[in-house]
Amino acid sequence: MNKREFVKSRKPTWKRFEYLVERLSGGAIKRLPAQEIADYSQLFREVSNDLATIRSRGWGQDLESYLNHLAARGHNTYYSAPPARFSRVIHFLTSGFPQVFRANIWYFWTAFVLFFGSLGVTWAVVQNNPPLVGKVLAPDTQEMYEKMYSHDPDRKDTGFGGGNVFMQGFYIKNNTSIAIECFARGLLLGVGTVYTLLYNGIAIGATAGYLISLGLSQQFIGFVITHGSFELTAIAVSGGAGLMLSNAIIHPGQRTRVEALRVRGMEAIQVMFGAAIMMVIAAVFEAYWSPAPISVVFKYVVGTLMWALVITYLALAGRDHHTRNLQSELGEIDAA
Amino acid sequence: MIAPAEQQPFPDEPEPIRVSEALRIETPENVVLDYQLAGPAPRLLAYAIDWLVRGVILSGLSIVASILEVGFAFILGDASGAAVGMLLIVWFTLEFFYYVICETFFNGKSLGKHAFGLRVIHARGYPINFWTSLLRNFLRPVDAMAFFPFGIRFFPMYGVALISMFASRKLQRLGDIAAQTVVIAERRIILPREPVILERIQPLERSEIGSFRPSYRTLAVIDEFLGRRHVLTHERGHALASVMASELAERLEFRGDQRLVKDYPMAFLARVYVTLVKSEEASESEHARTESQSDIRGVDEAAEFLVGLNQ
Repeated sequence: MNKREFVKSRKPTWKRFEYLVERLSGGAIKRLPAQEIADYSQLFREVSNDLATIRSRGWGQDLESYLNHLAARGHNTYYSAPPARFSRVIHFLTSGFPQVFRANIWYFWTAFVLFFGSLGVTWAVVQNNPPLVGKVLAPDTQEMYEKMYSHDPDRKDTGFGGGNVFMQGFYIKNNTSIAIECFARGLLLGVGTVYTLLYNGIAIGATAGYLISLGLSQQFIGFVITHGSFELTAIAVSGGAGLMLSNAIIHPGQRTRVEALRVRGMEAIQVMFGAAIMMVIAAVFEAYWSPAPISVVFKYVVGTLMWALVITYLALAGRDHHTRNLQSELGEIDAA
Repeated sequence: MIAPAEQQPFPDEPEPIRVSEALRIETPENVVLDYQLAGPAPRLLAYAIDWLVRGVILSGLSIVASILEVGFAFILGDASGAAVGMLLIVWFTLEFFYYVICETFFNGKSLGKHAFGLRVIHARGYPINFWTSLLRNFLRPVDAMAFFPFGIRFFPMYGVALISMFASRKLQRLGDIAAQTVVIAERRIILPREPVILERIQPLERSEIGSFRPSYRTLAVIDEFLGRRHVLTHERGHALASVMASELAERLEFRGDQRLVKDYPMAFLARVYVTLVKSEEASESEHARTESQSDIRGVDEAAEFLVGLNQ
């Protein structure tokens, strides 16, 4: 069979496949009726076969690149990712996230020490020597914080300005962005992540020490204790995820750097996604619960319970799944 | 293209690393597919479109939000900020999840990518999933960093991404490297047109040529060259064809009118092609040809030369 006869006899097949591919452009294959899916599958294999034939006989680059692109587009449409299922989301929250988190616990502890360490030290130093706060916070920032927290806890109008919904939006946008950037900067050999952790630790510590030295400890801790459980932990978690990326580049082990980054990155992104969800939860508490005119003692109780909840969740959730869910989940990602 | 890489003037020098736009993937059907990687320019343009889309959505919503806030202030006597709060949530979602949502649900395409025929796929050829997309997009803040002090505030310059793309073999930004994804350009599919109307071309006399038979590849090159002859001027077409025509004439021991080879090499090639295709149809002996392939290097090189000039 020569080239012309071959092209002549195969052309209807190619045209039909071309039509199906163009029609599906961008859409999912499951939109087609059953018969056409069967046709598509058959035609795709035929086109692939024709491509191989043309390659092996050397029947010309134009024809080869035509069939190559036809097959390539067909391939991309044919193999699309499995649909996301709601049960997978539940699974991720109840066991996937804490499992991946615990599998990489040492990155978290490193970020934890950097963040809470700098926070604690700055807090202690500033509380004992209040004028030092000027080294960290600008005078008008100090004044703003002072005003924010010196309101009467029983008045409905909180000193925080703006309504609850506004503050919720603000916290979600601002705080979650900080966490994501803290993670992304891990790519800069960890310098960016460590900087973000220390910067936020020092700023929060200084604010805490300053306000408590002013005698506003009830208002401040009452405000912070509940959402702080999710928020402060989530910053350390996202920092840990960022450090996973850095360590993949610095200590790739037996793998190449790129390969190490890919493998570690797949776990880091899951940890980061969990941290982002924690941040959003924190934002809701921070906007509605924390400034609410409720007795401080009650807030202390709820806040303490929240800390216990976060710690229990991260430490224990998903432990009863003895079947190594983590492995299977990562395996699926690799093979998807 | 296989063109002149073999004829290196200094064979001792290491071969330079080629920046290639081609990505080879083997499919489950055991077919090797060549993809074309998308370079920085189309990707930046696609980004600009996505940026505009998000900008338009946000501006539209912020107008709605301001109207609502004014309404709140008028009715309740106090602008509650609720509408602005919702706007901020939308902003956050667009900033970090616009691409994730698009790429997950539209098989690796965002609106801008669709406009420029781009698609994100896994570097091994399969489609990306939620986590892959999330990873490559959560790393955008680092890729988006620019290297100039005045940096344009609202349009990220992607300085790091540009350097990364030039440094990596597969034109990947840092997010792509970590997620092991590539952005490919999907070309439009056009079946090459029918080259020449064979019936109207007169084959050469059997007595004018010897027994030499060129390979399929050589015939295919002639076929495609003739199919594309309308994009060349007459003179240029003849000039390009003459290299191969004279080589072929020699191999075929062409004994006819030599002016045909010298002055009208395109016509000569067409007639050789018709002659050989006709004779092939007459005798379906494919084995004889493959055996004679060893002594046709000269013609093949001329064919490669022709391919090189054509592209």
